[in-house]
Amino acid sequence: MAVNIEDVDLKNITLKVAEVVISELKLEDITPDTFDPELDLIDELGIDSMDLTTVALVLQDEYDIVIDEDDYPTLKNIRLIAEYIMKELKDK
Amino acid sequence: MHSTDTNILPKSANDLINRKWKFSELISDSIVRERWEKVRKYFFLRETTYDMSNRCNLKCDGCYYYEGEKQFAKENRDTEAWRALMVNEKNRGITYVVLAGAEPSLSPELLQVCYDIIPLGSIATNGVKHIDRSVDYMIHISVWGNDETSYRTRKAKDLLKKQIKNYKGDPRAVFVYTFTRENIDEVYEVIDIIKDADCKITFNMFSSPVGYNGSLRHDTDSLKRTRSVMLDLLDKYPDVVLFSPYSAVAHTHASSLHNLYSCPYPRMNPSKDIGLGRSFRQYRTDLTWDRSAACCVPDTDCDDCRHYAAGSAVVTARMYRHAIDPETFKSWLDYVDTYLAIWVRGYDKGKNLCEDMYPPPGFEL
Repeated sequence: MAVNIEDVDLKNITLKVAEVVISELKLEDITPDTFDPELDLIDELGIDSMDLTTVALVLQDEYDIVIDEDDYPTLKNIRLIAEYIMKELKDK
Repeated sequence: MHSTDTNILPKSANDLINRKWKFSELISDSIVRERWEKVRKYFFLRETTYDMSNRCNLKCDGCYYYEGEKQFAKENRDTEAWRALMVNEKNRGITYVVLAGAEPSLSPELLQVCYDIIPLGSIATNGVKHIDRSVDYMIHISVWGNDETSYRTRKAKDLLKKQIKNYKGDPRAVFVYTFTRENIDEVYEVIDIIKDADCKITFNMFSSPVGYNGSLRHDTDSLKRTRSVMLDLLDKYPDVVLFSPYSAVAHTHASSLHNLYSCPYPRMNPSKDIGLGRSFRQYRTDLTWDRSAACCVPDTDCDDCRHYAAGSAVVTARMYRHAIDPETFKSWLDYVDTYLAIWVRGYDKGKNLCEDMYPPPGFEL
């Protein structure tokens, strides 16, 4: 089911992105609340293109948007991912 | 039974393709979900390739190694230099090594050094010299036809007999049959020998080095014939052949892998942000590397590249493009399941989820 833009804000999206990253990467000892939104997913967390693709596909489902494959390299942390989603929702 | 009518999909398949699918729907089927969970455990693999020597005990027509600049690199045989390289590689996140050119079995001490530090990998060998079991990498043994053809093109007498003698029943061994324009039907006699030796086979496509226009280069007719033979062998030897219908599609398509999927290796991909463009290197035997030449089979003509090693990374990396409908996604899963069985020790290939051929995203069959 599509998410209503009125019901979400950047903070909530950031928490949701953190939840998805934690779940899909099976991260331990971290919660959405304690996930640093500036943590570099590639340099610091070590995720690779396949992990990022998985996260993007799950988030596409969640928000009923398209995250273009060419944009993956720009999605370096969960703040940037959340901002990307927010923009896509607004542009819908 | 595989569909050989190359442009017609079953009606139900067309119905499935003509709607927008969520990823969660694609993996909602329990069998698909199980396969997805099985292959995703290996997303941590990050490869780099290494030329182990500039020597070879064969001289083959169309050899990739003896093309371009890399063949002139001075050989570094210092085990401590290799040990230091492997430690550095591990520290920068490399989890998988591909040991190749010219003939890695001629540098056994270096193979052992690599294995001791990075225990996942594979060795591309001609199989003439046995590699000790203490190096527990996958061993890819190149076969270019029957022994008569091998003698003609590789100047090697009784080559398959020697290869079988060295690797009969060896769980590390996968025989890699390279289809050229000239040896397509010879695979039938080769596969019987490999089956009797309790070994596995997978398929490679001759991919021309830059500038090569000789008799081995595939044409439209040979691509079609090769696809048909691959599918026939999949049907007849399901326990011997490591392949899938989608593997056949991807590697015998009229368009090259690069043109179908946009090759992510540094040689064709300037981005250093993520994935192969960020981490992959192709080391020459002097332990240097050159980003502009870095791909799994350097000096291959990208417009003719259908190489099995290239596809393993190129097709796998394009998961997003395959997550569009159930059959396309299952085809991709079959491809990845196949590649893992070929490249990772202890990984068992499952039954292919797609019996029919489906086209690469955005292309016809």
